[in-house]
Amino acid sequence: MFNLTKKFLLAFLASIVFSVGVSKTVSAKTVEIIMAAPDWPPTRFMQEYFNSNFPQSGDTEIKLTLDFIPWDNFYTNVAASLTSGEQKYSMIVSDSQWLGAFIEGGYFQKLNKYIDADPELQAIFDDMHQGYKEGYTTYPYKSENYYGFPQFPDNYVNFYRTDIFCNPEENAAFRAKYGKKLPCTYADWEIVVWDDIFDINEFLTRKKGEMLAGKPLEDDMFGVTYQAGKAYDFSSMQINGFFWQYGGDIWREDQQPDAQAIGVVNSDINVAALTKYLDLLATMHPSHKTGGMGIFEMQALYLEGKIASMINWVGLGAPVVDPNLSKVHDITGYARQPGTMQDDGTISRWANLGGQPFVLTTWMTDDEIDAAFKIIKWWLSFDTQIAAVKAGGQSCMKSIIYSDGYNALAPWNAAYVASMDWQKDVWHIPEFFELLTQQQEEFDKAITGQQDAKTTLDNIAEFQQELLEEVDRIQ
Amino acid sequence: MNNKSSGFLSWFMDPKRRGPMLIAPAIIVLLLVNIIPLMWSFGLSFFKYRANTLKLPKFSWFYSYEKVLTKDNIWESLQTTAIIVAGSVGLQMILGFLLALLFASQFPLRKILLMFVLAPMMLSNVAVAIYFKLFYEPEFGLLSQFVQTYITGEMYVLLSTPAGALIGVIVADAWQWTPFVMLLVLAGLVSVPKHLYEAAEIDRMSWWRKFTTITFPYVRSLLLLAVLFRTIETVKIFDLVFILTNGGPGTATETIGVLVYRTAFQFFRTSNSAAMGYILLFAVIVLTSLYLYVIKQRESEEI
Repeated sequence: MFNLTKKFLLAFLASIVFSVGVSKTVSAKTVEIIMAAPDWPPTRFMQEYFNSNFPQSGDTEIKLTLDFIPWDNFYTNVAASLTSGEQKYSMIVSDSQWLGAFIEGGYFQKLNKYIDADPELQAIFDDMHQGYKEGYTTYPYKSENYYGFPQFPDNYVNFYRTDIFCNPEENAAFRAKYGKKLPCTYADWEIVVWDDIFDINEFLTRKKGEMLAGKPLEDDMFGVTYQAGKAYDFSSMQINGFFWQYGGDIWREDQQPDAQAIGVVNSDINVAALTKYLDLLATMHPSHKTGGMGIFEMQALYLEGKIASMINWVGLGAPVVDPNLSKVHDITGYARQPGTMQDDGTISRWANLGGQPFVLTTWMTDDEIDAAFKIIKWWLSFDTQIAAVKAGGQSCMKSIIYSDGYNALAPWNAAYVASMDWQKDVWHIPEFFELLTQQQEEFDKAITGQQDAKTTLDNIAEFQQELLEEVDRIQ
Repeated sequence: MNNKSSGFLSWFMDPKRRGPMLIAPAIIVLLLVNIIPLMWSFGLSFFKYRANTLKLPKFSWFYSYEKVLTKDNIWESLQTTAIIVAGSVGLQMILGFLLALLFASQFPLRKILLMFVLAPMMLSNVAVAIYFKLFYEPEFGLLSQFVQTYITGEMYVLLSTPAGALIGVIVADAWQWTPFVMLLVLAGLVSVPKHLYEAAEIDRMSWWRKFTTITFPYVRSLLLLAVLFRTIETVKIFDLVFILTNGGPGTATETIGVLVYRTAFQFFRTSNSAAMGYILLFAVIVLTSLYLYVIKQRESEEI
């Protein structure tokens, strides 16, 4: 009896030990990918959706942890982490402009060999919209060296108040005063150019207590507003679009060392474009006078119902339709941003590419690289991309954006897709932040009325020429 | 073995070595976290080096110093810093002195009021910067609301002009650090012997005469100490400006601290930023020496 009990106990213990051992073998291998990410809706969605929907397979559990960093300090924090050598991040959501700085620093991993060896990754690359592929993945810009995959593609959309722009009385008053229609539908906005915004803003700028759309205003109201902030790139992105729409240019990195800054950046065309940007700004909400009209400040004003329209990134669209955050969630329409009329009667709509790729760092282990590619394939798969779009995100995969029903997935999709072929990107070179910061400071002086457009662009051109000559990018 | 270990212990515990042994950990920490990085950065200021590239530092003598000193932006930022230092420290001295005079006397609720007045000094710089950023905000900030409601009927955007932004920074910094000056002066005021005032009363001296002959001489050295401390701290001002104005509008409030930060951590011109840091250090040492010289002169005059 004793022997039997002893044997039974031994067998029981052995089975426990075995089962614990086996289960440990099955689930012991966990690979955690820590990814630096800007703190905003598209990345928050990625974390939530990964936690609930990522299909774990094989004997390795993959864990994705996004380290959310506020946008204003995102570059500085990531740069500090990378240059300190702490090797904290396996993946990073990187603005496309950072690619050069961090590739030259030895932090971002070149992906060509992985893509060449993996038909699935090749299919992903073939499926990307060309302009977005060039912006998000290539360094040098437009070369065939690939470094990233699209985490969140983005471009500008015009968010506008339908209760104001479609109000019959306001429309009649606008037509009586200016002899044209106050744009209400997507089609109406398609023919709006920046010059029309002068009239719209003059018409819609009202004081507290005045009537607007049949109601007395509780606060001052302003018309269309766009970016004019000093922080990060919160004026350059909008102003670059003006340059391109007018037929001007920025310093062309894909044409170095022949491309010049002086004569291009401060060309008469660019001066006219910047002057138009500044003149329009004078008709907008006065927050830009503090250098504080960044993308989030503008969004806050729109959500509070203090401006009638904002030109902003699609990435900031999700809170607009959230009734818990937005006073205008059910009275917002979406259109392309206005453009500039050309001599041939067409409207130029060039804009600065938004959005971000995600990249792999050079210190990842083989297991981490495997896990990272599983995450990338999952994120860029049809179902996940559709879920992201439904949640307010975007895609730049042709099989998705040109699929039936795509425009119905989110109210701004039609405007987003129609704008995709009008995107150009700013510099990707390692010196980009120095170029950007000096430019932002000079633009801010112009925005706050300290200097005119010509002086501003002369200062920028001179600085860029000197810096780019110093690093042999201009000869 | 025992003899060996006891030998080591007795060597270690020798009263002659006890002092050095006790301070050794502090010295080692100081060396590791302060002296070595300082020497390292001083060395880097003589090289051409960017921390965000794989290129090795290249010895370049005084290239970084020459580069930094021949750029307009450092002189502009030094001017901006000087304006902020003069404005803020001046305001702190005047307000701190007046508050100290007030709190040197006894009145109801004095202790509770003193606690409130001291509170700003205990806040972090970041909290103060965010508080003032909201306070100056044109849409819903208290300042703008007040001006709009009672004065102009328009939103008031204080930070939109270079002068306004400088005033905004100066007021925020002075608000935070006036209590510090007040505390120092108050310490001087309470140490003034009562019998001097009683004698002055008997002599029927005016308030002004009492102030210049009794009160001020007692607090003068503490006031100068406050000037020194606050000047050194304000020359290094960074977080308040960075959060409140981001150096703007344009570069109107870009202090030397902000410029060093941008050069080091945004442009990654590591050698240039190290050179700037040592120029700033040199400026602070000159200021301190000037202060000590003035103090010494005064003391020798008094003797």
